[in-house]
Amino acid sequence: MSEASRRIFGQALAVLFALMLGTVVIIIVGESPVRVFATLFEGAFGSPERIAGTLLQTTPILVCGVAACISFRGGLFNIGVEGQLFMGGFAAVLVGIYIPLPPLFHVLLGIAVAMAAGMAWIAIPAFFRARYNANEVVSTILSNYVAVLLTSYFTIFIFKRPGGWSETSQILPSAYLPEIFSFSRLNWGLVVGLVLAVGVHLYFRHTPRGYAVTIMGQNVKFAEYGGVDIRRHIMMVLLASGAVGGLAGGIEALGVHHRFMEGFAPGFGFDGVIAALLANGHPIGTIGTALFFGALRSGSLLLEVDTNASREIITVIQALIILSVSAEFIMRRRGDSMAAERRWKF
Amino acid sequence: MCGFVCGSGAGVGYAVELKGVTKRFGTFVANDRIDLAVRPGEIHAIIGENGAGKTTLMNILFGLLQPDEGEIIIDGRPMVVANPRVAIGAGLGMVHQHFKLVPSLTVAENVFLGMEIRSGVFIDHRAQIQETERLSRAFGLKVDATERVGLLSVGIEQRIEILKVLARGARIIILDEPTAVLTPQESRELFQTLRGFVSQGMTVIFITHHLEEVMAVSDTVTVLRHGKKVDTRPTAELTKNELVQMMVGRSISFDRRRRETVTGDTVLSVRDLWCRDDRGLPALRGVSFAVRAGEVVGIAGVAGNGQTELAEVLSGLRRASHGSFRIGARDLTGASPRMIRSAGVAHVPGDRLVRGVDRQSTIAANILMGSQNTPPWERRGLIDWPLVRDRSRKLMERFDVRAPGPDTLVKSLSGGNMQKVVLAREFSHDAPCLLVDQPTRGVDIGATESIHDEIMRQRADGRAILLISVQLDELIALADRILVMFSGEIMGDLPGDDVSEESLGLLMAGVRTEPEEAAVA
Repeated sequence: MSEASRRIFGQALAVLFALMLGTVVIIIVGESPVRVFATLFEGAFGSPERIAGTLLQTTPILVCGVAACISFRGGLFNIGVEGQLFMGGFAAVLVGIYIPLPPLFHVLLGIAVAMAAGMAWIAIPAFFRARYNANEVVSTILSNYVAVLLTSYFTIFIFKRPGGWSETSQILPSAYLPEIFSFSRLNWGLVVGLVLAVGVHLYFRHTPRGYAVTIMGQNVKFAEYGGVDIRRHIMMVLLASGAVGGLAGGIEALGVHHRFMEGFAPGFGFDGVIAALLANGHPIGTIGTALFFGALRSGSLLLEVDTNASREIITVIQALIILSVSAEFIMRRRGDSMAAERRWKF
Repeated sequence: MCGFVCGSGAGVGYAVELKGVTKRFGTFVANDRIDLAVRPGEIHAIIGENGAGKTTLMNILFGLLQPDEGEIIIDGRPMVVANPRVAIGAGLGMVHQHFKLVPSLTVAENVFLGMEIRSGVFIDHRAQIQETERLSRAFGLKVDATERVGLLSVGIEQRIEILKVLARGARIIILDEPTAVLTPQESRELFQTLRGFVSQGMTVIFITHHLEEVMAVSDTVTVLRHGKKVDTRPTAELTKNELVQMMVGRSISFDRRRRETVTGDTVLSVRDLWCRDDRGLPALRGVSFAVRAGEVVGIAGVAGNGQTELAEVLSGLRRASHGSFRIGARDLTGASPRMIRSAGVAHVPGDRLVRGVDRQSTIAANILMGSQNTPPWERRGLIDWPLVRDRSRKLMERFDVRAPGPDTLVKSLSGGNMQKVVLAREFSHDAPCLLVDQPTRGVDIGATESIHDEIMRQRADGRAILLISVQLDELIALADRILVMFSGEIMGDLPGDDVSEESLGLLMAGVRTEPEEAAVA
């Protein structure tokens, strides 16, 4: 079996194993697994509206996933996509409210500013990683909390709209990202995400810089020896990853919510990181895994209405998938490195 | 040779005896029927080059590896050392190359980790500290038992590792390259400690590849080469030169290549170059030389005398602390690897797995490295992969890389074929200057011959070649001049067509003489 197919097979097995464990949990809480899974499927794909709903959930996960893929490719871990999404969303909303422009330009400026905000948010972790080799996993995780709380503070104390809710006022209609169908809030953000995933994939495969980043991600000493400026490439990879994280926020803000509020995007950034991990950092694969997580999310809405199982069951199943996929990943890695050691250490 | 070992061994018995120990990793034979006899109360050095099988042999003795064949006898009793616990029970202790200490715990806590002295359910810290201090005094290993390990220097950490071994009651102590991490000062202190051990009736086995250490501290020395034992001799009977001969050997003798002498312009010139190694110690101390076009200049030396660092500085991977080097008229001191590459330097690194290849990538992707931004491989911002594959296919043929095709992953190749991928890439850049570090390490004879052919072809094409090798016969076969490095300095500059392994050996051992005298010696 080839390398890639062995990898996909292993992970499919891991997901299956997680679903089996999920079945056990469902039985324990006193529900019928068949009914739960059927309802999930029904909720995710049962009608055009539901499919659109699933795709609506898929979009931010996909864009966040691509953001994570970019960093993984360079051997880096941007776990701060959630924070970049919040910053990007907030920045886009400010543009949407305060800078009146003609329709297309307004959207473009909002998106550009969202990307700049995401980039700015990862700039500090990126600098410290590139310059002082400070672990980017820790610094990007921590920056998430700051982003979520900071935007929340601004929303409540500075930009709150008159009235009860902790949210800003609406953005101008000229800044709306247009919807694709009349019956759903599903918007062109999905297309942006798909094009982005394919584009990033092609970029890594066919450009000199994409090649350099790929090699850096696999053997940084070899890349350095071959003349790749490591610091510069680390900086570029993380900034690009952060920009795409910000883009996800911009799409959510201009395409779905049309304003900023507390709890703007519940965990899309984290789901994106996991979708990317599950796809082994492959942008095209991330389209599939993001759809899977999107379907779980949208299916779980119906789950609460139609069964006694709570929506949290989905969180449990998701956690099980993460556990078993990472276990499979670690086992495969260890197998590889043990084989390598048998061969080279004496 | 037998007279010494057999004679004094009669009736005394050995502390450790290995008989016919063989260990294979796949088709690679790491230890080939090795016999080893260590007398009680001696310091027994095991010396050999990297990959000679020293560590494997000691790991077998300590139960970390199981031999495929052979016998282990400790204190006259044949034993199956199934795991380190058995070895410790038999009175063995091993200090590894890489320390295994917990930085957040104190010295005493580390010494007794896993065998804590208890009072009831609690750890008796006071007793542990007292016992650590007692051992420290008894063996002259000065430590503060209450200090946290994370705050201590590497030299002290090693003392703690030795204390750990002592606390477990070891009488036969194995040290794997103990001086690799130490400063010269710390090394001298360690040797004193080892002397102290034997004077108290203990036995010490230590692994090294430094001749001076063998001469300075050991009673007996066993030389390993390519997984085989060369000999065991009393140290006092040996000279450094003989030891070098035994280590390096001359099993494969290549004929010196016939060639025209082509004298071109100076391509690489190095002036008073200094640098530090990873520990911050001086690795190069004022190296100066020049390489002309159409010339192969060899760098000889026992591994670890600054050769690798020299190649790293010249390729931009390591900073020079002083001095300069030029390619042609251009000063490239402190330039980035990319600038140096584009100035016309190709580099075959000494450790192909670390620097030479990316094992996860295809052969084509490995061949591309370094030219991904240069036409025709890059056109209008895109890599021309079909062209790269085509080029790789041709190079694979020319360099005899045995693999299904350019899309084969490098990690599925054998060591020799990986090395050929590295050479194919570096030799095809048409760079005027080639840095070639250990081109045939781990490569079989047939491939070695073809690699040598390729180096000579590059020479004929007028390249300036700096060839670093620990194999003297390789240097003698290929080099026009041989520079000998010893502890970061160039000890001598010998013409390649009039040089003997003996004269090189003396210089490699750090004895500075005129070539004529060396030949006489």
